[in-house]
Amino acid sequence: MSSPYEKLGVAPSASAEEIQKAYRKLAKKLHPDLNPGDKAAEDKFKDVAGAYDLLSDADKRRRYDAGEIDETGAERPPQQFYRDYAGSDFGRYASDAGYADFGGNDDVFADLFRRNAEARANRRGQDLLYRLAISFADSVTGVSQRLTLPGGGTLDVTIPPGILDGQTLRLKGKGAAGMGKGGPGDALIEIEVKPDARFTRDGDDITIDLPISLSEAVLGGKVRVPTPTGDVTMTVPAGSNSGSTLRLKGKGAPRAAGGRGDQLVKLRIMLPKPGDPELERFVTSWEAGKTHNPREAV
Amino acid sequence: MIDLEAFLARTGIELRMLEQWVEREWLVGERSETSLILTDVDAARAQLIHDLKRDFGVNDEGVEIALHLLDQLHGLRRIVGDMQFEAEAGRRLNKRRLRRIRYERYRTRR
Repeated sequence: MSSPYEKLGVAPSASAEEIQKAYRKLAKKLHPDLNPGDKAAEDKFKDVAGAYDLLSDADKRRRYDAGEIDETGAERPPQQFYRDYAGSDFGRYASDAGYADFGGNDDVFADLFRRNAEARANRRGQDLLYRLAISFADSVTGVSQRLTLPGGGTLDVTIPPGILDGQTLRLKGKGAAGMGKGGPGDALIEIEVKPDARFTRDGDDITIDLPISLSEAVLGGKVRVPTPTGDVTMTVPAGSNSGSTLRLKGKGAPRAAGGRGDQLVKLRIMLPKPGDPELERFVTSWEAGKTHNPREAV
Repeated sequence: MIDLEAFLARTGIELRMLEQWVEREWLVGERSETSLILTDVDAARAQLIHDLKRDFGVNDEGVEIALHLLDQLHGLRRIVGDMQFEAEAGRRLNKRRLRRIRYERYRTRR
């Protein structure tokens, strides 16, 4: 690595003025913003600027000359140069003043610049993304919620019935303010449906595991079934088994095309607490129960 | 968007200087109805101005001229870049194509 003196092209005996003069001369040629097209300029400039930072500080220079510090670390931290922005659409400073004399109004340049200027003056606001968690029941029935924004404002969001986890709502014009006639951006609201302990969703159908008693399974009967829109009564046919599924027509999630899916009720037979003497006595004396083998097919 | 404190820390300038530069329209920011919004591009430009004044000894009039010329230079570079892009794709230079290209190139950077 060459010494900072060599980098600036000055003698170790150079005065502070000479060092400044040498630096300015080099920096004008190397500063990335004054050389927007020269990719190599940035590295060279960092080198020279680092050397100048070291030698322009009288104390650091003295310590360097005395051998107390070396030239390492004499490098500028990374800087975001203006040229990195100026070429993109973010460059709202770029001007077309240099082309006013390029052809008439029909000219390609004139056309491009006019549009550029219009686009800058009338830029649409950014879309802003929010997340909103709702309950499973609300995802089926739909809900209105007020979202408190980071800036302190609020946003009323109407969630349509039947929305799915991960779906995004677009609220037109509720994003960041635009410039000029650009109009505001949109608010995009990503919906998270919180999992429910009872219900799961499969397309438009909703599934629930429903515990039933032994008597209800054997003899059948009316049972109360929760649905996201409230409880309903369902008839369990006599002789129902664990695992059999009953269908509640139209009790599922709303379909986009109209109508609703179904709720599927999966039965699960629950025995009473162990140690019921009457039940034990009955099963012991029940001859058919002893010979019945439900695993014949397995 | 960068808040004022972070902006000053990043660029190493003082509030008084920032106010002056905004007044001179060296920095324009994005004006909302009530306030001035400063972004990364303004910070980079402020650093450039700072370099010009502190390191290069350019005076205010000189900074003004330098910025004016640089802004024109970047405008030119942008157009030349679009035209080059078009030429590399082997297409005839035509206004409608250029408009499309421009839209496609810059849309993703927003």
